[in-house]
Amino acid sequence: MFRPVKLTRVTIQTPEDQISAVMAVLGDLRLLHLIRVEETHLGRMGYVAHIDTSLLARYDTLLTRVNRLRVDLQPQGPASGISKTPRPDKAVFRLEEECAAIEQEALGPLEQRKGLQNTLSEHQALIGRLQLLVSAGLDLDRLHDLRYVIWYAGLIPEENLERLEMSLDEIHHSLIPLQRKEQRVVLLAIALKEDKEIIQRALKSAFWDPLDLPADLHGTVPAILEQLQQEDKQLENELAGLNGKRDALALKYGVKLQQLREEILLARELLRAQAKFGQIDHSYLLTGWLPLSLFDDLRERIMKASSGKALIDKVDPEDVKEVRSGTLTIPILFNNPVLIRPFERLTTLYGTPSYDEMEPTGFLAITFLLLFGMMFGDVGHGAVLCAVGYVIFKKMYRYFDYGIILMECGVSAMVFGILYGSIFGLENLIPALWMHPMDNIMYFMKISAFLGIIIISVGLVLNLINMVHQHRYTELLSASGLAGALFYWLIAALGIRYFLAGPLSAYEVLFSQIAGGTLLVLMFLQRPIRLLLARQKRAEKTKLLPPGLGITVLESFIEVLDELLRYLANTVSFVRVAAFGLAHAGLFMAVFTLADMVRNAHGGGLLYWITLVLGNIIIIGLEGLVVSIQTIRLEYYEFFSKFFQGGGKPFQPLFKGSEEK
Amino acid sequence: MLRAAANYGYLNAKIRALRSRQLSEQDRHFLLAAKELTAFLSYLGTTSYGSYLPDPAKGAPGLPALERQLSRPLMQDYAKVAHSLRGHRERNIIIALFRRFEAENLKLVLRAMSANLGREDVSHLLYPLGRLSDLNWDALWAAKTLPELLAHLRPGVFGQSLAHALPQFEAQGRLFPLEMALDFSCFRYLQEAVQHLGSRHDRRAAEKVLGPYIDILNISWVIRLKTVYGLSPEETVNYTLPEGDLVTLACLSQLARAEDIATFISHLPPVFQQEVHAVNHWQSIGFRLQGWFVKILARVFAGPPFHIGVAIAYLLEKEIELTSLITMLQGRAQNLSVEEIGKKLPEQVTEVAYVQTG
Repeated sequence: MFRPVKLTRVTIQTPEDQISAVMAVLGDLRLLHLIRVEETHLGRMGYVAHIDTSLLARYDTLLTRVNRLRVDLQPQGPASGISKTPRPDKAVFRLEEECAAIEQEALGPLEQRKGLQNTLSEHQALIGRLQLLVSAGLDLDRLHDLRYVIWYAGLIPEENLERLEMSLDEIHHSLIPLQRKEQRVVLLAIALKEDKEIIQRALKSAFWDPLDLPADLHGTVPAILEQLQQEDKQLENELAGLNGKRDALALKYGVKLQQLREEILLARELLRAQAKFGQIDHSYLLTGWLPLSLFDDLRERIMKASSGKALIDKVDPEDVKEVRSGTLTIPILFNNPVLIRPFERLTTLYGTPSYDEMEPTGFLAITFLLLFGMMFGDVGHGAVLCAVGYVIFKKMYRYFDYGIILMECGVSAMVFGILYGSIFGLENLIPALWMHPMDNIMYFMKISAFLGIIIISVGLVLNLINMVHQHRYTELLSASGLAGALFYWLIAALGIRYFLAGPLSAYEVLFSQIAGGTLLVLMFLQRPIRLLLARQKRAEKTKLLPPGLGITVLESFIEVLDELLRYLANTVSFVRVAAFGLAHAGLFMAVFTLADMVRNAHGGGLLYWITLVLGNIIIIGLEGLVVSIQTIRLEYYEFFSKFFQGGGKPFQPLFKGSEEK
Repeated sequence: MLRAAANYGYLNAKIRALRSRQLSEQDRHFLLAAKELTAFLSYLGTTSYGSYLPDPAKGAPGLPALERQLSRPLMQDYAKVAHSLRGHRERNIIIALFRRFEAENLKLVLRAMSANLGREDVSHLLYPLGRLSDLNWDALWAAKTLPELLAHLRPGVFGQSLAHALPQFEAQGRLFPLEMALDFSCFRYLQEAVQHLGSRHDRRAAEKVLGPYIDILNISWVIRLKTVYGLSPEETVNYTLPEGDLVTLACLSQLARAEDIATFISHLPPVFQQEVHAVNHWQSIGFRLQGWFVKILARVFAGPPFHIGVAIAYLLEKEIELTSLITMLQGRAQNLSVEEIGKKLPEQVTEVAYVQTG
């Protein structure tokens, strides 16, 4: 839990005719972080990337066909999942055939349905246009029968009507406004047939929007509308029948289509992954990071799939040349239990841990919940948070992780609520198993500071482990290393001793002075001494005091002071835990006082309860947000800053982040 | 009066200060006298336009790019004038006038879209609108289709006019209806802004400047639509602007139907007839009328100072100065003679000159 998954660098060499089989195995295993061969020393040996573009194009076409069917059929429910990854070169034939079979049965009714939908929408558009003319009670037959006169029905912007009238000044015409719609006038424009071109030009320049009535409409507009509406009903009935057919097809082929799509996407990803493979003549080479525990399984399956023709090899990360030279970073694969996994988001928000440092998510989760609970301790509020978290967890898949965090925070708040004896701010319903914060302010503050000392100490220990892991032994004597940690613990122990048992004895003072002084001298001098030793090692012939020594001493002095002051500030910073815990209780008091005032002023019990409910909602929303921010702040600035270096690279399994999914 | 002075005192001082930076008669003389483009630009560098000219060390810029560079002071003056006005109704008039330049840039967006060009391909042709423009230009340029573009413009000034012009754009398959719709929407917005002005005094002052301006625009458009685009009278009338001062719709109808220049002039209102009675080229009518309009604008500065008309007059005067400058620049680039260029320029009127002749 506190270390990332142990990885190994795997290199697979396979003949060209076996690459699809190997890819299928990788597809099944999934947990491989591929490295682009061209970027390794193997690339310099002549291995180049090569994607089978024609096969990829076949899959792209297939995906378009399947997507089209999915859009038209709108199948519901999730895909059943792929138990075994197919070989992309073989599977394409089966997938094409399966897709064609569905198309053969489904495309006919779907096309018919689409056609019917188009006809229906055209009808409805026509009805909309005809309704603009209904007030005039026009008989289209009579208008069509006019021998010397031409007519147009349409809309023009209101402000253009006067100018249109004037522009037709020289010809016989009639402009009949029928009604107004969205700052436009529905107009019937009539002129002699011999002036057809003139009126057309005039209408065109007045931003004419013709109603485009089909020539085959006969009778009065109301009669046509009635007929169209009847036809619409018939069309809607036909459409309902086709919708039923579509639903039946969706039921029959829905799961199959989802599965086809999954397979196609998987195959495409496999083919695209080839961009990271290397190829020379008829031999493929691929390399990547794999969890060490999966190596034997992978080797066995690849050997079986390739009939023993593939070569597979592993190298420990420490032995990889590119890692040692710093050109390649080992990715980090988190390894946390389900309840802690959501907190990985908070860790990566700060930075991605590197492979050789302690993975802090476990510590973060524990301390986060502890601090949050202390600041937000209330059984009722915790239960509300739990409920909200559960709703998010169930309904909003995208924020699934935050739902879990919220539920866990809720549980923590409930636990501390029991310890504080508080349910929705009422402190007389259950006994406090520990204390009422408002009655024990100083005690609460001391506990917070003590908690701060523990959390900072954990950070210091983690830092020491990182130093040893990363062989940074020279830093052990620095203010951020072992010397600093010992100094901090010495001061902390003296503080605790003073608060628990009063003033220090002479022996304790003497011991502290000697130990503290020694540690301070070590911290001040470690840098200048390292400088001198480094010069001596390089056998540089310099003066007794090398240049830059003074600056180094000064820097060392400032650095130690800065670091020690930071320890103090970080510890004091934890007093905010008590402060926000007290603020939480204080807000309850304010809400109860307000509710009493409302009841006394208006004499209504209902208003009292409304005030209480609203007050609680505000406390949960506002205080919940503030406490979360403060907790994150303590984690990042007070805890992480003690040991977390980051700069790592997240592990990217083969099929993560497909844009189609 | 005191209220007007309080409202327009600062604006008036600001405009008079800005006006003092305009090109003088002497500047115009030396610009016209310049033998070549380099000399022209060299002299222009000594005027208030100097700081807007590109660095000569970087080579001569193209003429269109230079023209747009020279429009920068005008755009900045719009912002200065708008910010100097207290009331939002008064500011709306300035913004409405400014919308004409937004419309010009929008036309370029449309043309670029239809020619599959990007923003960078036509950037040298765009007016440098600055912060006064509240349109989301990034989104407009990112739009790939006309409906997408219209969706961005719909809530604003231009949206409705463009939507109304869309059927004709689809029927005709050319941008002309959309471009005309953009122009119309600017002037409709201007008309609304004038109507919404709080004081009657201000409304009258604005109409006194904008009425003749629209008259001259309408006359120029009629000439252009007739002679350059060859449009029929009925189309020409429909492509004119409402709310002119002396040129009524009936007058425009007669002008659109006039077959020769003499008939055209005879249909003009008497004031304009006096100005153009000796003209025998269609193009010259516009230049003469612009000269007349310059005098109208100068008269505004000689009259009572505390009204919105002063701001409108200044900005239109500055715009005419820019047009003249571009005319001179193009004339010099084409090696036209001083007389040929001079014919295309409106008469320069300073306040002193106006007092002497008026």
